[in-house]
Amino acid sequence: MRDLERTVGRLLSLGTYASVAILAVGVGLMLVAGRSPLDPSYPALDPARFLPDLLRGEPSAVLWLGLLAVMATPTARVVASLVGYVEAREWRMVVVSVAVLVAIATSIVVGGAAG
Amino acid sequence: MIVGLVMVAGGMAAGLFGALLGLGGGILIVPLLTLGFGLPVREAVGVSLVCVIVTSSAAAAVYLERHVANLRLGMTLELFTAVGAGVGGIVAFVVEERVIAALFTALLVYTAWSMARPGAATVDEAVTPVAPPSAGDFRSSLNGAGYVVRRLPAGMVGAFFAGIMAALLGVGGGLVKVPVMHLVMGVPLRVATATSNLMIGVTATAGAVVYLARGGIDPFVAGPTAIGVFFGAALGSRAAHRIDVRTLRLLFMLVLGYTALQMGRRVLAV
Repeated sequence: MRDLERTVGRLLSLGTYASVAILAVGVGLMLVAGRSPLDPSYPALDPARFLPDLLRGEPSAVLWLGLLAVMATPTARVVASLVGYVEAREWRMVVVSVAVLVAIATSIVVGGAAG
Repeated sequence: MIVGLVMVAGGMAAGLFGALLGLGGGILIVPLLTLGFGLPVREAVGVSLVCVIVTSSAAAAVYLERHVANLRLGMTLELFTAVGAGVGGIVAFVVEERVIAALFTALLVYTAWSMARPGAATVDEAVTPVAPPSAGDFRSSLNGAGYVVRRLPAGMVGAFFAGIMAALLGVGGGLVKVPVMHLVMGVPLRVATATSNLMIGVTATAGAVVYLARGGIDPFVAGPTAIGVFFGAALGSRAAHRIDVRTLRLLFMLVLGYTALQMGRRVLAV
């Protein structure tokens, strides 16, 4: 269990540093482009345009990548814990881990669909 | 360009003070963005949730590597905070922004009050790391070395409401989770704080994805603010033991009180 905690802890560190690094690049690009955060119109995350925009170095796409990395970090922590619990055969915690992932997925689906 | 840099600086201040006072910074980001930059409340909450994920992940990494957080208990409770956060996120887009602002003002007042109470100082308890589970039933598998987890159902309900609050107001919810774990469930304060930090990441993520799905997060605001908060919090957590926190607490209570006043005025005037 201590191994699992250490692994998960390192995963969180890695995810945090990676997210911050990507966001820093995005903020740099944004500042250079002279884009003000106070401009009331902003691009929502458009899956169709995300990859092409990213490859073009669009500030918004890089920022979105960073933001997605931020949200993926705790999620990855849950997945890593799930794997650890499967290996340790702690089935109740496996159920809990899966349920947490389902809760997050449901939030995305219901959040996007509601209203 | 200047505005972007000012936003990073604002984020740093929020992260710094949050880390110095153990508040996580979430409580400062919404006022910073609404009062300081004129953003609508709901947008500010979405950004704040992103910042809260960053600081929580960074802090939780440390707690886990030191084996102070109770991973099993945290994950069990975060199932309930995550569901609560999903609900809270949906509610956030249904109610008027003024309602959110009013609730946030109440939170500011409550935070200031709980800082003023004598029991607010951290209790230095010797905590031994969490031992592997021994008995068969689920509840006892959540126990830690030297303590027994009590009243799990009550903890689950508390966690659910903490989740709603977190997603609605853009805070981590530690203000509810820590007392619930410590006072209701009998978990030592150090472990409760560490476990709460761990849970906040998932809680805020479950809330943030609702805002994401609704197009409610502005990347050009979230980026600079999150960067600032991260560096401010990193600085604050290193400096915390070197600074006399008592004067800082008093100053902070005044800041919270003033902020509550300003937000309250906006709620009534708009």
